[in-house]
Amino acid sequence: MLRLRCLLPCLLALLISGCAQRFEAPGIGDQEDPALSGNGRILASVAERGGRRFVRLVERSSGRELPLRGLRRHTPHRSPSLSWTGRYLAVIRQRGQRREVVVLDRLTGRLRPIPLPGDRVPERLSLAPDGQRLALQVLRQGQLDVELFRLPALEADRPAGAPLP
Amino acid sequence: MRTAALPLLLLLLSGCEALRPQPEMGINPRLASRGDQRSPSLAREGLAWIAPAPSGSGQLQVRWFDLRRGLATPLPGLNRPDAQPISVSSDARGQRIALVRSVDGRTELLLYERNLRSLRPLRLIPPGVPARVSLSADGRSLAVQVSRQGRWQVEVLQLP
Repeated sequence: MLRLRCLLPCLLALLISGCAQRFEAPGIGDQEDPALSGNGRILASVAERGGRRFVRLVERSSGRELPLRGLRRHTPHRSPSLSWTGRYLAVIRQRGQRREVVVLDRLTGRLRPIPLPGDRVPERLSLAPDGQRLALQVLRQGQLDVELFRLPALEADRPAGAPLP
Repeated sequence: MRTAALPLLLLLLSGCEALRPQPEMGINPRLASRGDQRSPSLAREGLAWIAPAPSGSGQLQVRWFDLRRGLATPLPGLNRPDAQPISVSSDARGQRIALVRSVDGRTELLLYERNLRSLRPLRLIPPGVPARVSLSADGRSLAVQVSRQGRWQVEVLQLP
């Protein structure tokens, strides 16, 4: 009975906390800025490797790192965000003195910059699950603003079996 | 003609042409507030973010903007006056919102269920200091950036 009494709070804590899965790999230092695909299958994070900060994608079921072509330069990366299936990856990268928002279509391998109007400096971003809208935290005239943008040129990324609009 | 065609062809071949974003003119002025706004999390049906309270008290709050109705709607039971929100993330429908906040010098990881108006703490095992959260759009997985022994780690919790 005593043992049960000790066991119960532990079980309860485990249930409430869920089961944690950690994503570390040899040669990887700090990991920051996590972002999950809509279906939770892919995890993006920014990892320190060789003194540079790169975005990294991991398939959660296997722990396998997914290839990311076209995103090896222009670091540091920050604030990655994924669509429903992980088809689209949006991220902020540093290009010289300038910060740039880019979207990678993992289906076609196409990497497209998203030029922001005016003097906005992107700080953080969040891509809508269907990939057709983008929320940005931007620094403009000394203030942090949150703004929404439409990305009508992107084909919608929807969960399997979802009805068409 | 030839000189103009070559860069254009190269640009097309590189697959790197820009994607022109269109500002949401009907929404952005309604999100604006006096003071800094942070941590946007875009869902299918709305936007969760951290902004100064509309009352003008200067206190930071988690807010929700309903994209279908085109207005900010309340999150009863989520904000408390003595807490400082740090990071927020919503599922696709805005029913579950994950939150990191600081209260009395402690940093907490919490899960808000909008239908139930409930806010419950999530425990990190082993203990660590949470910083940033990302909830999957299906609301079943939560990724957390955690500080342990001076290092940043990322882990995913499976939610019941």
